[in-house]
Amino acid sequence: MPDRNDRWDDLLRRAMRGDAAAYAAFLSDIAPVIRGIVRARTRGAEDAEDIVQEVLLAVHAKRHTWREDEPVAPWLYAIARYKAADAGRRRGRQGGHVPLDDVEEVLPDEGGDVTATRDLAVMLDRLDARAARIVRAIGVEGQSARDVGTSLKMSEGAVRVAYHRAMVSLKELAETED
Amino acid sequence: MKTDDLITMLAQDAAPTPAAPLARRTGYGLAVGFAVALGLFLAVLGPRPGLGGLMLDPVVLAKTLLPLALFALALRLGLRSVRPGRAPGRTAWVIWAVPALTAALFVWAFAVTPAETRMVDFLGHSIPVCLPAINLMSLPILAGLIAALRRGAPVDPQKAGALAGLAAAGLATALYSTFCTEDSPLFYSVWYSVGIAITTALGAVAGSRWLRW
Repeated sequence: MPDRNDRWDDLLRRAMRGDAAAYAAFLSDIAPVIRGIVRARTRGAEDAEDIVQEVLLAVHAKRHTWREDEPVAPWLYAIARYKAADAGRRRGRQGGHVPLDDVEEVLPDEGGDVTATRDLAVMLDRLDARAARIVRAIGVEGQSARDVGTSLKMSEGAVRVAYHRAMVSLKELAETED
Repeated sequence: MKTDDLITMLAQDAAPTPAAPLARRTGYGLAVGFAVALGLFLAVLGPRPGLGGLMLDPVVLAKTLLPLALFALALRLGLRSVRPGRAPGRTAWVIWAVPALTAALFVWAFAVTPAETRMVDFLGHSIPVCLPAINLMSLPILAGLIAALRRGAPVDPQKAGALAGLAAAGLATALYSTFCTEDSPLFYSVWYSVGIAITTALGAVAGSRWLRW
């Protein structure tokens, strides 16, 4: 797409001269393209959006390695591929563990904090038996949605949906008690 | 953090970046590293007597010029390797002329040297000086290069480090060759190459350790 390449070259060139609006336009423009590369390279990893953000940060930190007389696209794609591969290697090494700092940011929104502030067993009694079992298996015992699905004869997706609904209900229960 | 928020945050930081900081930093790193290597050289080894006159012999000149060419070409490739998406270009082919010429020199020397002196020329008398000297003088140059290339963004850190090692070793070997009195290609085409290979491997290790980003 020659149009897009010309636009990117122009936007980044202006950004390098301090044009914040051009830079914002450039970053917004490339984000979906980066997302596509990252998803394709990591086969739809759950933390794909984290990697997209890592690529954006790398583009920012290394923007001086782009030369104005060269097209932006190959430079950008090379960075996205490197970061996606790097994330893949790291995930392989860590065996799928997520650093705690990252989890803390996510947990409150998911309603995960109810386990920390409430007596979980009491609240689980108020859910229906199946939902309580799913929450115990996934949230407390750390089983995968697939394993829980197999033992309950449910699909993996249905388990995820049920788990999510149960967490929402727990959060509401916790709030009504306050 | 949402990706849109990140973009907004980054966009506020659109201050112009200094032009060509990478090439200039590499120049600084190289200058500092070479100054240390030259200091080591002058303090411990020093140029051989009658160097200027001897250099008129192309076979003697080649042992300085070939590593110098290797240095220039490897440096060019190294600088390209830290710019994402940049093809190495023709230099990636041209650099093979250095080992090709070195091998040709070895074959030529093998042919013209009488059979009974070949082994004497090949082993020489200074291997225990040559190999450590080339590697020790390479180290400060390699350090300067790696430090500078950290500003870059090598998509293959190991390869970028190896190229830095190759460039550092080329420069150090050119310097060492002005001390070395072994003028048969049977000696220098082999042992210089071994020294350069060691530093290149060291550069690859250093690259995979310090050139990740």
